[in-house]
Amino acid sequence: MKVRNEGLLVLAAVLIVGSFLIGSRQEGAEFAGADGQAMEAVATLNPEYQPWFGFIWEPPPEIASGLFALQAALGAGVLGYYLGFRRGRAHRRNRPDAGD
Amino acid sequence: MHITEGFLPPLHAVAWTAITLPFVVVSARRVNHLMRHQPQTKLLLAAAGAFAFMVSALKLPSVTGSCSHATGTGLGAVLFGPSVMALLGTLVLLFQALLLAHGGITTLGANVFSMAIVGPWMAYVVLRGAQRLGASLALSVFLAALLGDWATYLTTAGQLALAFPDPASGVAGSFLKFASVFAPTQLPLAVVEGLLTVVIVNFLREYSGEELQSLKFPPQTLLVTETRS
Repeated sequence: MKVRNEGLLVLAAVLIVGSFLIGSRQEGAEFAGADGQAMEAVATLNPEYQPWFGFIWEPPPEIASGLFALQAALGAGVLGYYLGFRRGRAHRRNRPDAGD
Repeated sequence: MHITEGFLPPLHAVAWTAITLPFVVVSARRVNHLMRHQPQTKLLLAAAGAFAFMVSALKLPSVTGSCSHATGTGLGAVLFGPSVMALLGTLVLLFQALLLAHGGITTLGANVFSMAIVGPWMAYVVLRGAQRLGASLALSVFLAALLGDWATYLTTAGQLALAFPDPASGVAGSFLKFASVFAPTQLPLAVVEGLLTVVIVNFLREYSGEELQSLKFPPQTLLVTETRS
């Protein structure tokens, strides 16, 4: 049985929005990164631990959000290019007379 | 699953790098081999890498009131086998460590190990197992991506626990502490990752038949055991 993609995408969106709504009700919900929380746990387990190596370069916040967007855009761009290319080719093959 | 720069003691950082390095070398060879002998799959490999690149940049909200992201490494692992992802994952993590102050160079080995080695291998083993048990391809791929995602985050918890054992309850207690940070957050996100991976695989089955055929996907586990017996 082939599960419909549209349904799966809607389900994924519902899960994300639902998670946000449930998460918002948690006490002190700030939607901080889980990675950061784990590093805070390090500090409680071993208060004397000092990171021995710092970031080589840390982007200013606005630049960082731009770079995150760039990362997602590059990924989505390549993925979308591939999917569109394959779909277009498959359609052309199925209708050889409808070529341009 | 990104352990922040400097947050693993030097000995651990070196050890994880040493463990990870051979996997990345083998992965580079495997990718090189693929490019040479199956150049028709080049674009699909780029797309699988792009998927991991994309989803690891998207921080999604979770039921815990915190944020995390999917790994995206399950897709490439089920299509190409787990070994190609070590190289692709290293590139993703290197980008984030150098440009986004996310992860780090000293923790790169440990992060590659969790995201680009354990996750993909878990996904691959689950896919094979589920197929052998007669699960549909969609369900197998879903479980593979979901459990690969969880495995990555639990590995990170284990790595941190080894480095920072609880003074009272030791490594096990510390593992539970770190796992309790990651696991509930990752619960819905891993499901989302599973769903997205199935969406792409569905699409590929419809439009990328030739490439999947040359990659022998879906794996014909049942057929092989039948002809052997």
